[in-house]
Amino acid sequence: MAETAISWAPRSAWAGIAQAGSFGASGEAGVTATLLDGFGLATLIAGPHATAALSRLVEVKLGLALPRAPKIVSGATHDAIWVGPEQWLLRAASRDGFQPLLAELAPHAAVSDQSDARAALRLSGRRVRDMLAKGVMLDLHPAAFAVGDAAATIIAYIGVQLGRLPDGPDGAVFEIMLPRSMAGSFWSWFAASAAEFGCAVSVA
Amino acid sequence: MSGQPFRLASGGLIDRAQALDFSFDGKSYRGFAGDTLASALLANGVRLVGRSFKYHRPRGVLSAGPEEPNALVELRSGARREPNTRATVVELFDGLEAASQNRWPSLAFDLLSLNGLLSPALVAGFYYKTFMWPAAFWEKLYEPLIRRAAGLGRAAGLEDPDHYDKAFAFCDMLVIGGGPTGLAAALAAGRSGARVILCDEDFRLGGRLLAEKREIDGKPAAEWLAAALAELESLPEVRIMPRTTIFGLYDHGIYGAVERVGDHLPEPAPRQPRQRGWRIYAKRAILAAGALERPVVFPGNDTPGVMLAGAVRTYVNRYGVLPGRETVLFTAGDDGWATARDIAAAGGKVAAIVDARSDADPVRKGLADKLGARLFVGGVIEGASGGRQLAGVTIRDASGATSSVTCDLLAVSNGWNPTLHLTSHQNGKPVWDDDLHCFVPGTLPAGLSVAGSAAGRFTLAQALEDGARLGREAVAEAGLTPAGAEPVPATDPETAALQPVWRVKGAKGKAFVDYQNDVTDKDVELAAREGFRPVEHLKRYTTLGMATDQGKTSNLAGLAIMAEQTGKTIPQTGSTTFRPPYTPVAIGALAGHHRGKDFRLTRLAPTHGWSKEQGAVFIESGPWLRAQYYPKPGESDWLTTVNREVLAVRSGVGICDVSTLGKIDIQGADAAEFLERVYTNGWKALPVGKARYGLMLREDGFVMDDGTTSGLGESHFLMTTTTANAGKVMQHLEFCHQVLWPEFDVRMVSVSEQWAQASIAGPKARETLRGVLDPEHDISNEAFPYLAARAVTVGGGIPARLFRISFSGELAYELAVPAGYGDAMMRALMRAGAPFGITPYGIEALGVMRVEKGHVAGNELNGQTTARDLGLGKMMSSKKDYIGRLMAQRAALAEKDRPSFVGFKPVDPAQRLRAGAHFIGIGQAAAMENDEGYMTSVAYSPHLKHWMGLGLIKGGAARIGERVRAYDPVRNGDIVVEICSPVFVDPEGARLHG
Repeated sequence: MAETAISWAPRSAWAGIAQAGSFGASGEAGVTATLLDGFGLATLIAGPHATAALSRLVEVKLGLALPRAPKIVSGATHDAIWVGPEQWLLRAASRDGFQPLLAELAPHAAVSDQSDARAALRLSGRRVRDMLAKGVMLDLHPAAFAVGDAAATIIAYIGVQLGRLPDGPDGAVFEIMLPRSMAGSFWSWFAASAAEFGCAVSVA
Repeated sequence: MSGQPFRLASGGLIDRAQALDFSFDGKSYRGFAGDTLASALLANGVRLVGRSFKYHRPRGVLSAGPEEPNALVELRSGARREPNTRATVVELFDGLEAASQNRWPSLAFDLLSLNGLLSPALVAGFYYKTFMWPAAFWEKLYEPLIRRAAGLGRAAGLEDPDHYDKAFAFCDMLVIGGGPTGLAAALAAGRSGARVILCDEDFRLGGRLLAEKREIDGKPAAEWLAAALAELESLPEVRIMPRTTIFGLYDHGIYGAVERVGDHLPEPAPRQPRQRGWRIYAKRAILAAGALERPVVFPGNDTPGVMLAGAVRTYVNRYGVLPGRETVLFTAGDDGWATARDIAAAGGKVAAIVDARSDADPVRKGLADKLGARLFVGGVIEGASGGRQLAGVTIRDASGATSSVTCDLLAVSNGWNPTLHLTSHQNGKPVWDDDLHCFVPGTLPAGLSVAGSAAGRFTLAQALEDGARLGREAVAEAGLTPAGAEPVPATDPETAALQPVWRVKGAKGKAFVDYQNDVTDKDVELAAREGFRPVEHLKRYTTLGMATDQGKTSNLAGLAIMAEQTGKTIPQTGSTTFRPPYTPVAIGALAGHHRGKDFRLTRLAPTHGWSKEQGAVFIESGPWLRAQYYPKPGESDWLTTVNREVLAVRSGVGICDVSTLGKIDIQGADAAEFLERVYTNGWKALPVGKARYGLMLREDGFVMDDGTTSGLGESHFLMTTTTANAGKVMQHLEFCHQVLWPEFDVRMVSVSEQWAQASIAGPKARETLRGVLDPEHDISNEAFPYLAARAVTVGGGIPARLFRISFSGELAYELAVPAGYGDAMMRALMRAGAPFGITPYGIEALGVMRVEKGHVAGNELNGQTTARDLGLGKMMSSKKDYIGRLMAQRAALAEKDRPSFVGFKPVDPAQRLRAGAHFIGIGQAAAMENDEGYMTSVAYSPHLKHWMGLGLIKGGAARIGERVRAYDPVRNGDIVVEICSPVFVDPEGARLHG
């Protein structure tokens, strides 16, 4: 009795919480938020003495080097984020081919799919640092937090993964990943904090 | 509308083109942009602004800054009403409403001022001595009486309508204070490219430069100030923060600050916070907070019209207000003379100058003559009179003769105390300087330098020099290269000679040391007589320095009088130390966004939206919101709903979200051995594709958590934990791996957020699931028996996991799908189960079913129970070692009469059981010594049609069939219950394996 009439459409972590549009002060938006969805994400923890083999394989498959310090390394289709000694988050822009890739990495690392575990968004805009200063307890000055830097930190009591991506047309770009179940609380803080600067929200 | 009779025709840093209307005690007045409430009140001739705390004495404006002890008012109305705001720092805005405090029925006529007549009884220690007896009177009579009489302003009592921010900032150098010292420091550092934050509590930067007529580089100081500010604003790494008070210094160069973003507006601008609490991380900091002027203790020194001499200059020069028509100056040093000079320059009259110093200086004599003022060398003010408004002073000259002088303003100059508060926030003790007659900073906290007046270097020349030098030093210490030194600008001549007068002795009348707490010199004398001599005792006995002003104008005088009483010096007597905050901070600024529902975070399950659609009532379970039950129209109470849900599950099929349980992915060659050591029971024989119930102990032998762990592969396991302990278990496992057994190849990560999980329970669970799983999966009883755990797919290839585990005792499964599909999964299950009457159920029904089955849960896993207490002793393997094994063998934990786990049912089936009831033998008194245990969980069983309970009782299962009292004094419960098996429904487990 296969059930075919049910649509198994995935639901975004931001569904019912945030949507495209704008809020807060009118005029030019001081903060731009891009809600991310549909990415692939997995935790990789290298096996004993397997880091080199894992790194080589990632390099060959994805053209990026696994970072050995709190950094985010971006390739053409994938990013690798250092989250601890011998531990990374590997993110794919698209889920196509992600599971087969994980299967190939599995001999060298404990691979745990986390594609649905995180809500993610990208932030930029003229006032992005002023907005982030209301929650991030790290120095995000360009000299202190450069492109490619990453940190596991706390925003509004929520453990997040914060990274700085290459600058975009409106300056510095930050990316934040947080536990999916906490997306509502995160957005409550974000909306209150960004309102005075005006915020434009789009969906990637 | 009155015409500001005390406003000067010109001058001052106010915008006369921008008139602002405001009201005080319901009466309308007008001021100008740039005024404070105090300057505007003085411009309008309002002298009486409040009543004192204890004696309800009339009080006026004493100062022009944050130290103000008298002019405390209620600001705004309604929900924004704020008590105890200092009129001297309240920036005037159009429509401002303020009201005086602590008076009844009116400010001019205050009945409680009769307290002044009772004052012999109201001395220090009065409350301790008077309201002691009879003790029973305290709660009903004394305390309400005292609370009504005291307390100054009234809180709004309504929810604060404004939003607050909390924010973090980082800098190479934090400059605290935007006066000449701070500006010089910020310039020196900023020019070197350092990241500088310059904070000033005032809305206008400049500090004393705004209040004094001074010259820098041969030009009015205002020109230097404007140039300095313009240059600072041009430096991209310099951030200027006016209206920002650094209120505390904490470890590792962290400073607390509050920025008053919207306090100068009738209400905050749209989307703007009212205030912002900052945590500033500074590599270096320079304290350039200036100094606070000291009053003199003499009778009537609290009469409205008695004002600090420096404050008078502020009102004259900065606000264009002459606070009196006829001024007398009482000074102990050179600084006061500037006040006489500035008053005269503004066209005011100086009737007399009383200089307490005995040396007759011809220059001063000449100046007095020029001003037309009578000069009393070596004189003191013996009394000020006038009550609600100063009318005159009595001067005692050097010969001891007294004369009366009519005046409406008495300017008092007695030297300044460095604003060194932040230097003692890390327990640093200020040190006494005999030459300066004040405390100066002692040992400094790491990373902090003190400059200018805050360091006791009171002249403008010293301020500019200190600022420039320390600014450059700080740059070097922060690892930057200082820019080339610029010459320190020259200033006009100045002197700071001083011989302070701590109090005027031999005069009659109340002489106040602490204005805000109404502490007089006599109170300090009394404390000395009664033995409360150490400074900490003096403070607590007299309440000196304990008001909201924290003794900014009073601590030193109190210390000086105590020194005089005990024949010691001031430093022998003690020192003044300070704790944060420097000035009061609204709690909202510390909480920021996190209040109300945002006080802590809320976690929502991936199925939350669906549950909401189904009409769920949610309950907080730690940070999670979980569906408690799903009422249908017509169901009048929760129990009706829960009974329906339970019966539906046991007769058909129900679904319940269990996504909130902790899930930990454990991989590695040693993963099985790792489980073996953290669980009490055996794991090595767990086959791939099977789940097992596991019990985990703490190191001390008590139960920590329970849950199932499934074998997903040879060296790959998925552990589940209870919702409440998910974080704790993860932490425990990380500790075990990283500290106890680092040699293990075990790698784990929480995957709690990745999976949405639902329990499908009831005799129709299998049929329902068949409609959801992709057709190739065989879930017949043979192919997928009890405790099977395997990867499956749904929706045409979506990876999912299926576990045949049951909390309800029914044929049950848990289906997990990636969280994004959680919503779809619930809808698919509802659709597939529709023919069987599928019913969503919440954690309340889940709880009923687990009690019916006698499963332990949070109420029993309460951190005080052992495996044996819970009837799980047989899960403690004797064939291996595991965490908690040894400690669980302690004699006291194995004692036979430790309360252990059984069921209870009411002898009269109509009676309700209550969790928390204690068990007492029938016929025995309800006393602690007869206590045999207590009820941990209760539920109403719709099958048995009576209440059932689980609990812990001495003797446990051996007493099944016995009856005891279940005594519940909290809810007047006292019923007879029968001890029974904890399994109430299907003890054979036939349903489970069906």
